[in-house]
Amino acid sequence: MSLHPMYARPRNLEQASELLASLSSGAVIIAGGQEIMPYINYGVMMPDVYVDIGGIDALRGVSAETDEVSIGPLTVHRDIQNVEEIVERLPLLAYAAKQIGGGMQVHNRGTIGGNIVAMHPLYDVAPALLALEAEVELLSEKGSQRMSLSELQDLSNHGLGTSSILTKILVKPMSPTTLWGYYKLKNSAGAYGSANAAVVIQLDGENIKSIRVAIGAATEKVVVVSGNLDSYLGGPYSSEVGLAIQKTCSDAIGEPLSDQQGDGVWRKAMAGVAARRATEMALGKLNNSSSKG
Amino acid sequence: MTKGKKPSESYVGKSVRAKEARAPLIGKAKYTNDYSFEGQLYAYILRSPHAAAKINSVDLSGAKKISGVHLALCGRDVFEHTNGITDHLNPAIFGGKSTRLPIMAVDEAWCYGQPVAIVIAEDERTARYAASRIQVDYTPKEPVVDAEKAIAKGARSVVPEWDDNVLIYVPFMNGDTQAAFDQADKIVTTDVKIHRFSSQPMETRCYNAVWEHDTESITLYGTCQNPHPLRLVLAETLRMNENKIRIIASTIGGAFGLKMHGHPEEPLICLMTKLIRRPVKWVENREECLLIGAREQQHKVEMAFDSDGNMTGLRDHFLANIGAPSACPGWGMAFLTGLTMPGPYKVENIDVHMNAVTTNKPSWNAARGYGKESTAIALELAMDNAARQFGISPIDLRLKNFITKEQFPYPSPTGLVYDSGDYGGVLLKALETIGYEDWKDKQKAALAEGRHIGIGMAFELTPEGGTIPGTMVAGYDSSSVRVGPDGTVRVLTGITSPGTHNGTAIAQIVADELGIDMDRIEVLQGDTNSSPYGFGNYSGRSTIVGGGSAALAAKDVRDKINAVAAALLEVEIDTLSLSEGVFSSSDNGDATVTFAEVCYASYTRAYDVAMCIDPPLEATRTFKPPGISHLPDENGRINPYPSYSNAVYVVVCEVDTETGKIDLLSLAAAHDCGKVINPILVEGQVCGAFAMGLGGALTEDVQYDANGVQLTKSFKDYVMLRMADMPLVGMAHHDSPNPDNYLGLKGAGEAGVGGSAAALVNAVNNALEPLEVVIHEMPLTPSRVWSAIQNANNSEGVK
Repeated sequence: MSLHPMYARPRNLEQASELLASLSSGAVIIAGGQEIMPYINYGVMMPDVYVDIGGIDALRGVSAETDEVSIGPLTVHRDIQNVEEIVERLPLLAYAAKQIGGGMQVHNRGTIGGNIVAMHPLYDVAPALLALEAEVELLSEKGSQRMSLSELQDLSNHGLGTSSILTKILVKPMSPTTLWGYYKLKNSAGAYGSANAAVVIQLDGENIKSIRVAIGAATEKVVVVSGNLDSYLGGPYSSEVGLAIQKTCSDAIGEPLSDQQGDGVWRKAMAGVAARRATEMALGKLNNSSSKG
Repeated sequence: MTKGKKPSESYVGKSVRAKEARAPLIGKAKYTNDYSFEGQLYAYILRSPHAAAKINSVDLSGAKKISGVHLALCGRDVFEHTNGITDHLNPAIFGGKSTRLPIMAVDEAWCYGQPVAIVIAEDERTARYAASRIQVDYTPKEPVVDAEKAIAKGARSVVPEWDDNVLIYVPFMNGDTQAAFDQADKIVTTDVKIHRFSSQPMETRCYNAVWEHDTESITLYGTCQNPHPLRLVLAETLRMNENKIRIIASTIGGAFGLKMHGHPEEPLICLMTKLIRRPVKWVENREECLLIGAREQQHKVEMAFDSDGNMTGLRDHFLANIGAPSACPGWGMAFLTGLTMPGPYKVENIDVHMNAVTTNKPSWNAARGYGKESTAIALELAMDNAARQFGISPIDLRLKNFITKEQFPYPSPTGLVYDSGDYGGVLLKALETIGYEDWKDKQKAALAEGRHIGIGMAFELTPEGGTIPGTMVAGYDSSSVRVGPDGTVRVLTGITSPGTHNGTAIAQIVADELGIDMDRIEVLQGDTNSSPYGFGNYSGRSTIVGGGSAALAAKDVRDKINAVAAALLEVEIDTLSLSEGVFSSSDNGDATVTFAEVCYASYTRAYDVAMCIDPPLEATRTFKPPGISHLPDENGRINPYPSYSNAVYVVVCEVDTETGKIDLLSLAAAHDCGKVINPILVEGQVCGAFAMGLGGALTEDVQYDANGVQLTKSFKDYVMLRMADMPLVGMAHHDSPNPDNYLGLKGAGEAGVGGSAAALVNAVNNALEPLEVVIHEMPLTPSRVWSAIQNANNSEGVK
């Protein structure tokens, strides 16, 4: 806690990494400020040092190779929603980013990196990225390290902190035949989600070849449901299968969150409803395109 | 008589854009926090983390050591310098209890968030940081949080010198209710739970107290609705002369009753400048703003009906959890809930008991509706419940039981005298506006697809312009109209604007009375050094008494101007006409003189043509609405209201039965506020009230845990509706002019929170009727609605 904080704006990743290694626990990394500034304005946090990574060019930009889309963590939500490489190759992510609350100002300032490192269970980006099996690249004193977002989520309890910098988000492009859906249940337009479900489905003819669901806002961490859904593979989707997926996903919620948006019993049930509705959205795309054809 | 502007040229009745809206729109409005002065210091208030605790000691030394800190005081220090805060509305006047209301907790904290210590520093951060270094030693006590438990035998008294926790009990009785229930064909009981939801202005409270070295006085720049009455409270609390205090209420970004005074921070910040002799500012944060409660009531409404569906008796014994003692007038909301029973219904046998219960929750302040919204919620939920049980339409049941328009003026069973209205007409107009029959068809079609659409309606009677004898809640107000030598006008008025743009309505009225262009008029409000003594803004009164008094003053000035114009043109006054700023006469051919020339002559020719008047061109008048009666009737009852606005709100929604989520599909309101001065202003108020009522019914809820600790601390949890949630409101006006007031005015600003909240609940219950689900507990969060549906499904399974 400091009344007279210091401010540093490193020019490159090496400087930033060295600086962070030299600092004690009172430092914060700041970029878009949408996560940290409300805490600071409210007096909840009084950091000793602000390390502003907003000036590091290496953390910017989106580049798409054939087998991988690389997203700089400083990419703001508005760009995630609109940049061609993402809209075309990762439409699920672009769509989920549109569901982020707070309005235009937040979308223009808030970054995908900030959204990920906060590890906040109510946020929209993580379910989409986990459904897409995204990976991340981190830089610390020990050097650069690549791991799945799922692993990172398992490792950290209170966000990424200042021990390392998120340097890249890496996602395999979705194939044109991948069906996807995202359903965000929120009590009103200004509320955080109470159940956010992202679904990615591959079909083999009529039959479900693979399905992967990621559910946010229901527990402390985003829950990925895939193996549990194996029993629905190889057959076609039906409303019975939908209800079964709903139940499986609801059952996957161990200790549901309970807050003013809704209690745990409801939250657990809604996780299932959101998953089923996201699945229906995904399969609805198929119906729409086949009806067009 | 001289002719004014032709009726077609008049401003009254037109949708004139608000003059005051420009500055906020372009970011140039000066709110209280926009004032800063040389040597400005900032306050931070340390608050109790316990709902009930003994304060053993307060160690300020840690705070005092921080560089930049000028002063740190605890409750006992402040106690030595001040008297208790004067009650805005002393419950003892009505037979209730009172107690000394210290500015900060002294030896004992009686609610979460009560001020315990204050730090004054060079900037806000330093003050906050220093406050975190204060050591307070508390011994927590078992808090009294629940109203029912608070009045149970053996409950600890929140105020030690009281023998129980009932601040005030008032029975409202008329006729023979027991006989009505004994002879009833049907009795319908409805338990209604109204939660704690408040009003959250975008601009939170702010006080900047400035020591005036030259006059040894205080100027308080403050977010306050009632500058003159607050000045008296400050004088008494700070042991100063009233004439040594000036209050400037600048542009206000929403008030809704929350900025009516009695708050401890008002005298506290003034005391700081008195002690330090430098300007001291305090800005309330959202968490603090959410401490201010309202509306938490539980009702048991019993209605007795004869076999034709006529209500023959009404019983409602209700509790209001008003929180800890406070000088704010919040507790009076519970009183008004009882006083305005049975609303629009002509039942004469009533047995209503109000218990305002003191607890260790933070206290209430006034909130839009001032208890009348709770009357509407309780009655209208019960009416729909009765209609359901009778199997008849909620429209028919209401029409059968409404007071009819021939019955006005109508003496209510609690002693009120309703001035005018056409309640059935308002209901039918609202239903027509929303397209009721169409929606019934859509509802049927949707249900066939398994979708649950509901249509709900509710009536709200909103007495406006209230006054209570022996208090500074006055029924009258005053305005001065000053016309300068160039013919421009300054209106100074004792009422204030909470952001409703009533200044524009007053300018419209004055422009018509003077027969001039509105652009020549400036309306000034909120400065006790320039405004006439006035009572500010509450109870939907501002246009009634501010506009009424300004009209009277403008007429007086116009008489002077006419006299001088006639003298200049050498004609009789009754031959004058004024058009587009030029006087002419039917008796004097082409001769003309401009309005401005007449004004100049009025100031400069006092010894020849203007001999006929007393300069300057100024008048101050008071409007005392004649409908008010403070002389008790044979039962000791008074009529404190001059006008009885009323409205019907209709809500169409769809309930997602799988999630419990409610989507709003269509909204409409029909409103009777007497003559409409400016439709844009009235409709803005109605839409705002609609949003507040729906927000209250759906999501807005200030929650506390079992220990009385506040859980709802920001807009993350206290979620108000956004534009995207709300369809446009279909608006209809159905004016029954008030026979007693200037232009037939009734209030327009306060109504709507209860009616719209009740309409939403009724719509949801209508949607869920096929599932046999009825909910009378607010708010209707998705989880609550979903649980009710699950429970119904489960009990169905058991069958």
